[in-house]
Amino acid sequence: MLAFLSSEYVVHLLILIGIYVLLAQSLNVTFGLGQLFNLAHVAAYGIGAYTTALLATDWSAGMVLCMTASVLISGVLSLALGLIAMRLTADYFAIATIACTAIVSSLFINWKSLTRGVLGIPGIPRPELGFDMYDNYNFLWLTWSVVLGGQVLLYIVQRGRFGRSLRAIAEHEKAALAVGRNAVSIRNVAFVLSSAAAGLSGSLFAYYINYIDPSSFTLTEMIFVLTIVVVGRPGSFYGVIGASFFLVLLPEPLRFIDLPSQYLGPLRQLLHACILFGVVWVKRASLFPSQRRV
Amino acid sequence: MDIFHVAVKLGDMLDIVPQLFVNSLVTGGIYALASSGLALSFGVLKILNFAHGHLMMLGAYIFLLFYGILEWHIAPASGATMVVMAVIALVTIKVFVSPFAKINPLLPLITTIALSSILEALVSIFFGVNVKSLSRGGFYESINIYGVYITHIQIIIIATAALVFPILALIIHKSPLGRAITALTESREVAGALGIRDKWIVRGVFIVGVLLATLAGVLVGFETNLQPTMGNSYSVKAFAAIILGGLGSVGGAIGGSLILGFIENFCIGMDFWGYSLPAGYKDAFGFLSILLVLLIRPQGLFGKSSRRI
Repeated sequence: MLAFLSSEYVVHLLILIGIYVLLAQSLNVTFGLGQLFNLAHVAAYGIGAYTTALLATDWSAGMVLCMTASVLISGVLSLALGLIAMRLTADYFAIATIACTAIVSSLFINWKSLTRGVLGIPGIPRPELGFDMYDNYNFLWLTWSVVLGGQVLLYIVQRGRFGRSLRAIAEHEKAALAVGRNAVSIRNVAFVLSSAAAGLSGSLFAYYINYIDPSSFTLTEMIFVLTIVVVGRPGSFYGVIGASFFLVLLPEPLRFIDLPSQYLGPLRQLLHACILFGVVWVKRASLFPSQRRV
Repeated sequence: MDIFHVAVKLGDMLDIVPQLFVNSLVTGGIYALASSGLALSFGVLKILNFAHGHLMMLGAYIFLLFYGILEWHIAPASGATMVVMAVIALVTIKVFVSPFAKINPLLPLITTIALSSILEALVSIFFGVNVKSLSRGGFYESINIYGVYITHIQIIIIATAALVFPILALIIHKSPLGRAITALTESREVAGALGIRDKWIVRGVFIVGVLLATLAGVLVGFETNLQPTMGNSYSVKAFAAIILGGLGSVGGAIGGSLILGFIENFCIGMDFWGYSLPAGYKDAFGFLSILLVLLIRPQGLFGKSSRRI
């Protein structure tokens, strides 16, 4: 049993789960607590990944610098988007964020002098910390240390005074405004924090996978992260962690069925989308605690 | 560089303008067919359908099934596609939109985006992820009119748009049905109180919107090619068009589509003093225009009063 748990395959899955726990938990701040249909989350994730990839390969930068840069750049760019989009109603906000994801994705593909286009960036070196990080078992510890640190911060954000304000604005905007909460700036702070954390998980992803290309940061990936939050129940801290484990592991048995490889991706996509719709269908009355409009 | 050379250079630059103009009309016509349906259904439903571009993609693939794979004649293939897509549109609104509409404004956004992913996955599984074309030859001969090249299918696209939109305008502005649709767009409660039976009108409008998108998808399949991932791109382009025109107005969507077509073709096609942008950025300009409009003029370029934003 212990041999199985430390096998390469399980270690690989646990690292992947860690990255998705951080990614989904940060989306839980905007989408779950804030009820903002934030489709730009995957763009922040991608920007974090590309920042680390470029700094680590072209500049041979260290881990702390790469991660800090990923967090800062994702955060600052999301602030720019937030200043445009946060004044808008739900529909407009969704359109603005999906447009942003499309723009970022187009830049990854077309800004060839920086990103090498669809070829992607190969040979991202693992961080040097005195341990052999090319051993995935050691990298697992690094991943989960970063992820747990992120979870503690996000727990404080979600359960603290700030999280309560954010939830209050989402559930009863007029009442929250009446007691002196500034809706736009609270949502903006939530958006920046969430995108910065997504940037951090992008950084981990780039380090782990060693090779990134634009196909990892598409709307399909966004829908997967959205599915994790919806399955875990939006706004629920532990629910989202549980759902990350569940949904990353769920399509794994598909690997052991003898399927032509071109069906594997679409089948996973179909599975996730059906789960997303199914959960929303079953829980439609209770998914979001209360209505936005009073 | 003296003034003469600048003038020659400018002349060279302007040579391409008539060609770009025609290309823009073709692109804009496709976008207008795709986005007017979205604007119509958003008007009466007040719900943004994130699967609109994917329904367009699906419609084109259904047509591919009848016309390209089963090799039916074009007329029965079109009829069968319309029937299938009307049924799919009805299922979409009954299963993916209506049950969620009154609970929370976020829910229909989530369900339609789930639908978009389901459609993309299903089409990838059944038709494959590779590029498909509807061509059977014949449509692609270019004719040269005063130095402007245009293919037969591009003429058909422009003619289709020029035929469909006046009819649509006539229906919306002159018929009792059009008045009912306008009333529903203005206020669903008041329209209901006046005895307008909204349920089937809303469903009908949604179906018409999907059929318009299907038409656009089929034309795209003839002009260039089809791919399961095109749905996303056309959804966002339809959003861009209706944002440019002001959300929910059909005329605005058509105007927005033309502007989008012109922005895309001219930004890429023009040679800006020896520096031209790579064609890959074509899409990015359309998407960037969404953010610019939201920043500067959220009510749309043609919108008058500001909605509650």
